[in-house]
Amino acid sequence: MSILIQILLNSLETGGIYALAALGIILIFRTSNTTNYAQGTISMFNAFVATFILINTGLPAWLVAIFGAISAFVVGVLVDRIVISKAIKVNPVAKQIITLGLIMIFLGAAPMIFGTDPLQFPRFVYGSHKIAEATISYNAIVNIIVGIVIMLVLFYLLQKSKWGLSVRATASNDIVARMMGIPTPLITMGSWAIAAALGTLSALMLAPTTSVNLTMMDGVQLLALLSCVLGGFQTFYGPVIAAYIIGMASNLISFYISSIWSDSILYLLILAVILFKPNGLFGKKIVKKV
Amino acid sequence: MALNSNEINGIDTMGKDTILKIEDLSIAFGGLKAVDSLSFDIKEKEIFGLIGPNGAGKTTVFNCITQFYKPDRGTVIFRNNKNEVENLVGKKPHEIIKKGLVRTFQNVELIKELSVVDNVLVGCHIEFEASIISQILKLPKARKEEAKYREKAEEVLKHMGLYNIKDHLVAGQPYGVLKRIELARTLMCEPKLIILDEPAAGLNDTETIALIEMVREIKDKFNCSILLVEHDMRFVTDLCDRICAISFGKLLAIGTPQEIQANEQVQAAYLGKGDE
Amino acid sequence: MEKRQKQPIAKMKKGNPIRNYILFGIVLLLLPILVEMGIVQYSHITIFASILIYAIVSLGLNLLVGYSGLVSLGTAGFMGLGTYLAAYFTADLKLPFEISLIISVAIPMIIGVITGLISLRIEGYYLAIATLAISEILRKVFVELDFVTNGFSGKSANYPKLLGFFQLDRNLTYVLVVIFLVLIMIITHNFVNSYTGRALSTMRGSEAAAQAMGINIYRYRLLAFAVAVGFAALGGVLYMHFIKYTYPNTWTLAFSLNILAVIIIGGVRSIPGTIVGSFIVFGVPDLILKKLPVIGQIDGMAYIFNGVLIIVIILFYPMGLVHLWSDVKRKLMTKKRKGE
Repeated sequence: MSILIQILLNSLETGGIYALAALGIILIFRTSNTTNYAQGTISMFNAFVATFILINTGLPAWLVAIFGAISAFVVGVLVDRIVISKAIKVNPVAKQIITLGLIMIFLGAAPMIFGTDPLQFPRFVYGSHKIAEATISYNAIVNIIVGIVIMLVLFYLLQKSKWGLSVRATASNDIVARMMGIPTPLITMGSWAIAAALGTLSALMLAPTTSVNLTMMDGVQLLALLSCVLGGFQTFYGPVIAAYIIGMASNLISFYISSIWSDSILYLLILAVILFKPNGLFGKKIVKKV
Repeated sequence: MALNSNEINGIDTMGKDTILKIEDLSIAFGGLKAVDSLSFDIKEKEIFGLIGPNGAGKTTVFNCITQFYKPDRGTVIFRNNKNEVENLVGKKPHEIIKKGLVRTFQNVELIKELSVVDNVLVGCHIEFEASIISQILKLPKARKEEAKYREKAEEVLKHMGLYNIKDHLVAGQPYGVLKRIELARTLMCEPKLIILDEPAAGLNDTETIALIEMVREIKDKFNCSILLVEHDMRFVTDLCDRICAISFGKLLAIGTPQEIQANEQVQAAYLGKGDE
Repeated sequence: MEKRQKQPIAKMKKGNPIRNYILFGIVLLLLPILVEMGIVQYSHITIFASILIYAIVSLGLNLLVGYSGLVSLGTAGFMGLGTYLAAYFTADLKLPFEISLIISVAIPMIIGVITGLISLRIEGYYLAIATLAISEILRKVFVELDFVTNGFSGKSANYPKLLGFFQLDRNLTYVLVVIFLVLIMIITHNFVNSYTGRALSTMRGSEAAAQAMGINIYRYRLLAFAVAVGFAALGGVLYMHFIKYTYPNTWTLAFSLNILAVIIIGGVRSIPGTIVGSFIVFGVPDLILKKLPVIGQIDGMAYIFNGVLIIVIILFYPMGLVHLWSDVKRKLMTKKRKGE
């Protein structure tokens, strides 16, 4: 039983990491119709920025994380201004390939600026606590809570604020949204900025276990994409919930079946689920009109 | 495939000279009935028109016949090119043309990156038989086949007055030409029933008169029936042997052009709007 | 503006492009001679051979993306599988090269067909994600099944031995690669200009029209995907026999993306374009950039260059560089006319 609780607690943390990343992906997808394959790489880049600041200033990790998020914000805005905004008329497949180009740019820039050695990023807090024979680190609690709070705040804003309404309108139908006076280019820019920040937070939460290196977010990126597939591309909450499910499934499979092949089994399971629910667990069926 | 009693009845009562019989055709989209219990039949060598105000469901009817949509209820009995009578409902869209039923689209679905003659050649895709190996090695069988059907396509283009642009890309051709290319494409597999979705849209008066002649010629030359949807009333009354008028997916009246024009319900729903 | 008549695509006499491809192959065959004469560096043959092998793989992906409108992100996995199988059959099992070639292409194709059978029942994006997952799983297999694959140490093989007795050396293997490339170019050309090729183009241009004309979309997509996987596996076999080493970490998503970049940069639906694209993506970094004074020393510059190039081309030249040539010609002609 205690093992199950342990796994549950771990899953909340892992799920949170995936959920932040997945939220970034779905935000960009629904507002600019682009599947952003570069989010993991951009997050990695900003994680390097944060770690760099940490190493050179000795500031506490949580403060550096905020700087990392700001850096990500700026990078997101730049990417949108310089590239994405010019690609509005491009077809969806080509847009995806543009994000592939972004991967290359950041993968090339990161070692150029930060060197090729992996860097260490510490936990936000140290120490641990026991709950009914299961141990949970304070850091994990922080990660879980921060993740949930950020997502709750974002969802609240999406539902209640003017910005949120603009985002939902753009996501639903960007042409009509523009006609109604919503500044869709700004919305898109905001999405890229927020997504980069979310991804960077995700990377920094992950960093203590993987170290900050070029490929640190590859696994998360793929699972974030799969969260969107599993959760459905038509809602914002779908991928987030799917991310927690995947986090849980990943830990369960890792423990009970095999930790080496857990990823592979997970991929196959997700692909299998999608066979039966092609629009995702929370997706709605779209009728194609000829 | 076992037939239920409905289908057997439909087939039984399908006259020897009837080529298509729609019965009780219905489809709804999210609670909104797009087609409501529609029934009509088309005879051999008949030009049959479907008219109705915008949004009446005409293209939806076409999609239900050609199985791009699966109707919620009803049967679509067709006398195919082997002279067998069968219900098309439930078949996959790509199986329809093999039976001798071919269609055009309201949005003119041609391939911009291909030449005119290549677009027309796609019309007889189902006739090609050479294997993949034969095609990639350009073995004699593949070459002969390609030459034979290319010649046929060029013949059709000559008939439609399009031979001089046969190697031009479809991209950039004027709308009237595109409609003629699509029409040419339907002739490649010797159809028994051609469904035309607004063939005269975008054509001027001269082109429209030419089209009327063209459609008549096609019917005579290929011994086929034609089902068409059009807004141009002159076109429809000049050309069609019989007309079916629908409104909000429901049948209003079926009859000769004169009968339809005289029908009060049709006038109220459509002709009375004064948009000629 | 409308007065200018659209030129027909290069569908003139069928013989011409094929003759060009053969000529191109002959030119490529001159390379070893130039090396012997000391004009070209020995290491350049490796780079050229790699470029040509990647071009073969890219031609397969071009059939899928360019003509059928589907995206596969699994190229790395299938090509990698080709390398490992080729090494296993020739080096471990000592099978003849020809047999190994056939099996090493067939097995990935079977996996591809199974993947496609399932994936293609759903919208296009599913194939992209499924192939990505398969590719990652394969990479894991390359690492974990180390009793066969040697894990991170990598696997090795030798130059091919044709017909059981004719042992090729480096130069002759290069010749073999060139011959395969020209054959694949010709096969692709014939395929695209056949009725099957037309069906694929129709499918990409208008699913509705394709279905109305009797084209079974599912089946043709499966065919295009199987061919793409086959070309990737073939590229893998050739890679194994020329480079002689394969490592798991080569076969990553980044590699699959590079292949995609080849066809986007060079020109989708263009066979010469694919060759151009391969030279740019895989040749420019090693052949040009690394030789430049300052830039050549900086790590990662090649990657950045490729990334920027891809983005620039999509934004300004969505049809690929291959059309740059015809645009330049046209501009020169209008300039000439204005000058008269």
